[in-house]
Amino acid sequence: MALVPVKIEKDGKWVVGKVDLQPDSLDVVEPFKTSIPYKSVIDIEEKKNVLIVTVKGDPPATYRVASVEKVLQAMKRFIVKSCSAYRLMAYFMSPAVRGGVMVTNATWEKGAIAVLKTTLWFVSQNKQVSVALKEVTSMELSKKEVQKKQVDVLKIDHMENTDVVTSYILCPLSTLQILINFLKDATKDLEVTGQELDPVAAQVGMLVYSGMDSPAIEKMLNIPYRNLDEIYEKLLKLGMAEVTQVRREIQLTPKGVRFITESVKPPTQ
Amino acid sequence: MGRILIVDDTLFMRTLLKNILFSGGHDIVGEAGDGDEAIAKYRELKPDLVTMDIVMPKVNGIDALKEIRAINPGARVVMCTAVGQEQMVKLAIKTGAKGYIVKPFQAPKVLEEIHNVLSS
Repeated sequence: MALVPVKIEKDGKWVVGKVDLQPDSLDVVEPFKTSIPYKSVIDIEEKKNVLIVTVKGDPPATYRVASVEKVLQAMKRFIVKSCSAYRLMAYFMSPAVRGGVMVTNATWEKGAIAVLKTTLWFVSQNKQVSVALKEVTSMELSKKEVQKKQVDVLKIDHMENTDVVTSYILCPLSTLQILINFLKDATKDLEVTGQELDPVAAQVGMLVYSGMDSPAIEKMLNIPYRNLDEIYEKLLKLGMAEVTQVRREIQLTPKGVRFITESVKPPTQ
Repeated sequence: MGRILIVDDTLFMRTLLKNILFSGGHDIVGEAGDGDEAIAKYRELKPDLVTMDIVMPKVNGIDALKEIRAINPGARVVMCTAVGQEQMVKLAIKTGAKGYIVKPFQAPKVLEEIHNVLSS
């Protein structure tokens, strides 16, 4: 149907190849020959410009394919529409809110929702959005006004790189309930009670969320670094945070002091 | 860069917004803890933009927005409220809000929104 250039991982190395997008299968033509029926795909993940396609088997086989956005879009559309997944027709809006700011041109897209092993996919004629289940931060049934009527929607908050994004799914309530139960089960490791942190630690969490660094947090909450470090330790132990960088505080040795003293002396004639 | 009035009933949120906006090069000309104070400070300070919490004691953010728009129909007000109150968006925008921020928020996105509203 359409022979397209790709890079495909073979024996741990990226090699140039070609795939043929058939109506029912993705056929790898080069550097090796294999046919991947869409129905045999049990998972499809997207990481930057790489698609990770997992095919059922014992053990399951995984193919990593990289290409330009246009090719990947076509591949995603074919695979997500026909792969082995819990799939439903729905309207979706993604992103509706990004980093706490309403996306002004957000619109409802009519398409399919496919829930795979690691990823939730929204696919419409013009748009494909993937949400890794491990990146889902919360989900709840909510109400939203659509054409002057309050309708039931599923609100999903998820990470997209470093942004926290809100997306909405609109379909019959019974379907939404099935979907939320499935997603809750898939993300049960992330469940929190809301009681894990004391008020100060919760404020620290909020400030980290907003993008504040340690000196700013110390200043805002008026707490010494030692206390802040203890709170960080608690967040780390609870799996709510991860270390991105370790900064060092230093003081000058006599040699350093000597250098500074020398450096401010006027130059000798 | 703009002269901004921050309105929120919690000191914590005011301080957080102040830090974010300051880091974006904005000038924080004042703070208010309720709608009444916001209206008075708006008259006094004539800021370029107001960030306005919705749920506040005495006069709420929507009513304060109406008053501010009556003082200056071109006033730039960005509403700021908690998750789950998104249904207030329509009402606030109908009342004349120029932007909307949902708590919790991320600094770069807030600065982007403020920049967009100030440039509009």
